[in-house]
Amino acid sequence: MATLLEVRSVTKRFGGLVANKEVSLAISAGEIVGLIGPNGAGKTTLFNCVTGYTHADAGRIVFAGADITRARPERVSGLGIARTWQLVRTFGRMTVLENVVCGALKRHARVGEARARALRLLEFTGLASREDVVAANLTLADKKRLEIARALATEPRLLLLDEAMSGLTPAETAAAVELVRRIHGELGLALCVVEHVMEVVMPLSQRVVVLDDGEKIAEGPPAEVVRNDAVIKAYLGEHYRGRR
Amino acid sequence: MAGSSGRRSPRVVLAVGVVLGLLYPIPLQWSGYTYFQTVGFLVLINAMLGVGWNVIGGWAGQFDFAPQVFFAIGAYTAAILFVHLGWSPWLGMLAGVLAAIGICALVTYPLTRLRGHYFAISTVAIWMIAQPIGATWEFINGSRGLFIPMQTGQGVLGSIASLQFVGRTKALGYYYVAFGLLALTLWLVHLVERGRLGFYFRAIRDDQEGAEGIGIPSRLYKVIARSITAAVFGAGGVLYGFWALAVFPEQVLDLNWSTLPIMATVVGGIGRLWGPVLGAFILIPISQIMSTTLGTGPLAGRGIDLIVYGIIIVLIAALRPTGILSLPWSRWARGLVRRRASARLVGRG
Repeated sequence: MATLLEVRSVTKRFGGLVANKEVSLAISAGEIVGLIGPNGAGKTTLFNCVTGYTHADAGRIVFAGADITRARPERVSGLGIARTWQLVRTFGRMTVLENVVCGALKRHARVGEARARALRLLEFTGLASREDVVAANLTLADKKRLEIARALATEPRLLLLDEAMSGLTPAETAAAVELVRRIHGELGLALCVVEHVMEVVMPLSQRVVVLDDGEKIAEGPPAEVVRNDAVIKAYLGEHYRGRR
Repeated sequence: MAGSSGRRSPRVVLAVGVVLGLLYPIPLQWSGYTYFQTVGFLVLINAMLGVGWNVIGGWAGQFDFAPQVFFAIGAYTAAILFVHLGWSPWLGMLAGVLAAIGICALVTYPLTRLRGHYFAISTVAIWMIAQPIGATWEFINGSRGLFIPMQTGQGVLGSIASLQFVGRTKALGYYYVAFGLLALTLWLVHLVERGRLGFYFRAIRDDQEGAEGIGIPSRLYKVIARSITAAVFGAGGVLYGFWALAVFPEQVLDLNWSTLPIMATVVGGIGRLWGPVLGAFILIPISQIMSTTLGTGPLAGRGIDLIVYGIIIVLIAALRPTGILSLPWSRWARGLVRRRASARLVGRG
């Protein structure tokens, strides 16, 4: 499979704090990669470096042949990377449909076409019945779903989900996992999923990358990673050792 | 039935409003009491400016407290072209609008690095810089201002072409020009609101990072939004300059050219196309009535009119912060229709 995203030894410092230390990571087209690690490990910083909200101090980031190390968010979006946020960033005073239309307008400049495209995505994400609801009035689960629909409207090739399931009930989490599987299966997107719930990220991911204290400490298929001593010590905890 | 009347009623209200607006100055013309035509003119020009301000303030969500800078640029551009080169005021209006857009784009791009209160403060700073320039720049006659020579003895068409109405038809002529410009502004801003720009402006207002994440270059679109506002203020400035027959820095840069349109927008309904029109319709006549009633007689000169005017604005803002248009008008209208219908049934029974 062709490499879609390549992160080459990226370092990002905030003052004295090293948020990412020579992190390398590659994502192929159509792959689901899980990105895990304790709080403060540098997962969101890595997402921000890739999507242009902050820029790496050293290293390179290449997406589909284009160097995006210093690109602005809107250029990264145009090239085909979409993301969601840990704390949702829906357009609160606009309706659900209008939120998704905003995303679709990048590829379909006419509002009518963008609307048609947005309606199909609301069908796909199961938000069709909420079309006219003002986004601020949605439940957290629906806000996260709306963010995904809006991201998909930009027609990305890679979708970065930053804790798309945190704060959801078990039933909502199951529905969200189902949606992620369909985005992968039916739309053929590559996904990178930051998640804390191991029961979610392990069965979902084809490959898992573990960050701790800004550094990559392990990478591999989920079954191998959960047996890795460093990962158990840094993140999973001793109780995880005999569970699988 | 109720639903269809709910959807039809805005069009009915619009049609009635247009007819009333067009007829309003005619009986005043007969009676010769043209003061109320001038009040109408002030309502219309402030409504127009408010509709323009709504683009940056209402949809793009960036508080621009100094759009009067572009009002002044429009007024000066057209006046200079008229006085020195004899350009038609309408061509001057086009030039004034383009000058306002151009200067706005140049000045605003660096300001869009700032957000929230800081952006708002920086717009005020631009106004503070504009004041000494207006008062001292010799090319535009500094604080002595520019006088626009009056052109008399023209027919109706000549008056329209030269944007100069004199004598008994002065207030009437400017009223209709302002009416036309307000209609044009509403139509253009309506197109902006419905199109891609309107979606992008509101996206930036609601969440700038979220907007950038779906490919919207926020700084560019803030500049576009403020330039649209500047264009409307530029056109308004040209109209005002020819109405006043003079362009003085302290007059065209007056704080009232931003506070009145902004207050009209907030009182009527910020982020709603018709909000500023309703707001101007309420605020401007109140201010005029206050100054003609409370501003004269035994209480004159004590500013009682301004105090009462201020209290009225504070009351509206406190009781309905989202504006008068945000009240459930369509539900009330439906309720009224239903009550009438049931009254008719009871009457028949």
